[in-house]
Amino acid sequence: MDLPLDAPLPIDPELGASTTAPTALAPQSVGRPNAKYARIVPITVVTISAFFFLLPLLTLARHSLQNVPAFLLGKDTIFTKWSLEPMWRAFDDPKFMPSLKLSLMLAVGTVFLTLALLVPTAVWTHLRLPKMRTFIEFITVLPYMIPAIALVAGIVIVKPHARWFLNSDFALIPFYVVLALPFTYRSIDAGLRAIDLRTLVDASRSLGAGWGTTLRKVLIPNLRTAIISASFLTAAVVIGEYTIASTLLKKTLPAFQREYTQREPQAGYALNLLALLVTTLLFVLLSVLTKKRDQSRKPYVPPAAEPTLPHTPTGTLT
Amino acid sequence: MTDVIITEVEGGRTAGAPPSSARRNWAWVGLVPFFAFLFLFLIIPALSVFFNALRTEDGFSLAPLGEAFSGQNFQAFRFSIMFSAGAAIVGVIWGTLLAYAAASLIRPKWLRNLITSFCGVAANMGGLPLAFAFITLLGARAGVLTNILNWLGLDIYEHGFDLGNTAGLIVVYSYFNVPLMVLITLPAIDGLKQSWREACANLGGTTWTYWRRVGLPVLTPSLLGGFLLLFANSFAAYATAAILTDNSKIVSLRIAFFLGGDVSIGEDAVGFGLVAWMIIVMAVCMSLYWVARRRAERWQSL
Repeated sequence: MDLPLDAPLPIDPELGASTTAPTALAPQSVGRPNAKYARIVPITVVTISAFFFLLPLLTLARHSLQNVPAFLLGKDTIFTKWSLEPMWRAFDDPKFMPSLKLSLMLAVGTVFLTLALLVPTAVWTHLRLPKMRTFIEFITVLPYMIPAIALVAGIVIVKPHARWFLNSDFALIPFYVVLALPFTYRSIDAGLRAIDLRTLVDASRSLGAGWGTTLRKVLIPNLRTAIISASFLTAAVVIGEYTIASTLLKKTLPAFQREYTQREPQAGYALNLLALLVTTLLFVLLSVLTKKRDQSRKPYVPPAAEPTLPHTPTGTLT
Repeated sequence: MTDVIITEVEGGRTAGAPPSSARRNWAWVGLVPFFAFLFLFLIIPALSVFFNALRTEDGFSLAPLGEAFSGQNFQAFRFSIMFSAGAAIVGVIWGTLLAYAAASLIRPKWLRNLITSFCGVAANMGGLPLAFAFITLLGARAGVLTNILNWLGLDIYEHGFDLGNTAGLIVVYSYFNVPLMVLITLPAIDGLKQSWREACANLGGTTWTYWRRVGLPVLTPSLLGGFLLLFANSFAAYATAAILTDNSKIVSLRIAFFLGGDVSIGEDAVGFGLVAWMIIVMAVCMSLYWVARRRAERWQSL
C-alpha cells in the first residue's frame, strides 16, 4: 500500500483504516510529485526532537553516576569513576526521610481531599443542577489565571490572620487541591459524562440503596478511570511542587532537593534523576491502568474525545 | 419514586410547571462546601493581593499599581513578556511540526504512541529536575555540551548565552512547551480530513493551495490557542527559573524577592502590584485561550 506519507491521515489505531474514502484509490499524487521525499521532513523533526529531549536526561544521568567534572571529560576519563552509589547517598541524609514523608503525606491528603470535595460536587451538579455545569467548569479553571507564585503571595498576606492554621505543614493541602483543580475536575466531569449517571442512580436508589451506598458501590467503581487519573496527577503535582512550599518555608521533598543539590552536587543530581524517573513511572503506570479499563469497556474511543489538555495548570510545576 | 420524576422534569427544558422553589433552594445547598472551599483558599488570597496592591500608608490609591508597572518593574515585565512570547513562538512552531510528524509517520506503528506518551509526561516535567538537567547540559561550567562546544572552539557564553537569558530560558522552557503544544495540536491535525485534501486535489489545488486555503485556516484557532497557553505557561513559571538564575528581570522571581525580603509597607504594595499585574496578564491570556479553544473544537467534533 503506497499511501501519501506526508498526509495527516486520520488513521484510527483500532480500526486500522482511514475513516473516510479508501485512501489507496484516492488521487493521492495529484500536486505532490515529491511524495517520495516527504518522509524526510517528519523524520528530521522527530530525530532533532529526540536529541533535544534525551540529551538533558543523559547528561543528568552522567553527572549523577560519574564523578568527573565536565571540563575534564575526554578520551582518558570517559570510562572512569562510574558508580551507582550516589543514587542512594541522599537516602542517608538525616533530612531526606522527613521531607519525603511530608511530601508523601501531603500527596495522600491532597488526593483524598480532592476526591471528597469533587466527586460529590460533580455528581450533584450533573444530577440536580445541570444548568450550573458551565458555570462550575468556569470556576474550576480560575486557578489557571492565578499561578502558584501569585497564590502564594495571597497566602503571605493572609498569613498573619490565620497563623494557627498556616503554620502547620498540612496547611498546604487545600492550596494543592486548588492548584490541581482544573485537571481533576475536568477528569471527573468527563468520567461522569461517559456514564449514564441518572439511570445508574435511579436504579441503585430504587433498589433501596441510600446516597452513601450509591456513591460507594455504583458511582465510584464506574468512575474508576477518572478517579485514578485525577489521583495520579494530583500526586505528581504535590510531589513536585516547589513554589508555594519554598516561599512558605515548608520542608517538602523539592525544598530538600534544592538544598541538598547545593550542598552535595553529585548526589543531589542523582536525587533529581530519581525524582524524574519516579514521576515518569507514575505516568506510565497511569496510562497502563487507564488504557486497560477503557479497552475493556468501550470498543472505540475517537481521538477527538480525549481531553485536549491533560496537563497541570500553568506554572504549577514549572 | 416521585423524586426521580421531578428531577427529570427539572433537568429538561420542557418543564411546564416551574419546580417548587423549596426544592430548588435545597439543591443549591449541595454546592456550598465546594464554593466555601474555593472562597477560602482561592478567592480570598487572590482578592487580598488586589486589596494590598491598592493600599498605601495613607489610604487607597492606584499609585502602587502604576509603580509596579514603571521603572525596573516595567523592565521586568518587558523582559518576561518578550521571552515568554519568544518561548511560545518556538513552542508553537516546533510543537506543530512534531505533532504533524507524529501524525504522518505511520510506518513504525509504535512511534506515534511513543511520542504522545512521552509528551504527556514531558509537558508536566518542569521544576527542579528539569532545571538541574539543563545545568548539566548547558551550564557555564558543569555543562557537557558547553564543554564540547568549547573544545570545538565555540564559547557560547562568550556570545552572550546564559541559561537565565532570553535564549537560555527559551531553550529550557521548550522542554515542557513543545510537548504541551503537541498535545494541543495533535487532535486538530487529526481533525484534518483526508477527504478535504482529496476535494482540494480534485478541484485542481496543489499542496500549497490545500495548506493555504484549508489546512492552516482550520488549524489557526488551535495554533493561536497554543500560543496563548504556552505564553501563559512561560510567564507564570517560577521553580525552573529560580534554579537557573537569579535574574531579577523575570517577573515571577521578582515577586518572590518581594515576598521574601524585609520591605516597608509602601514597597510591599508595589510587590503585590506586580502580582496583581501578573494575574491580569494571565486572566487575559487564559480568557482568550478559552475562546480560541472553543473555535478549535468546532472542527474536531465533525
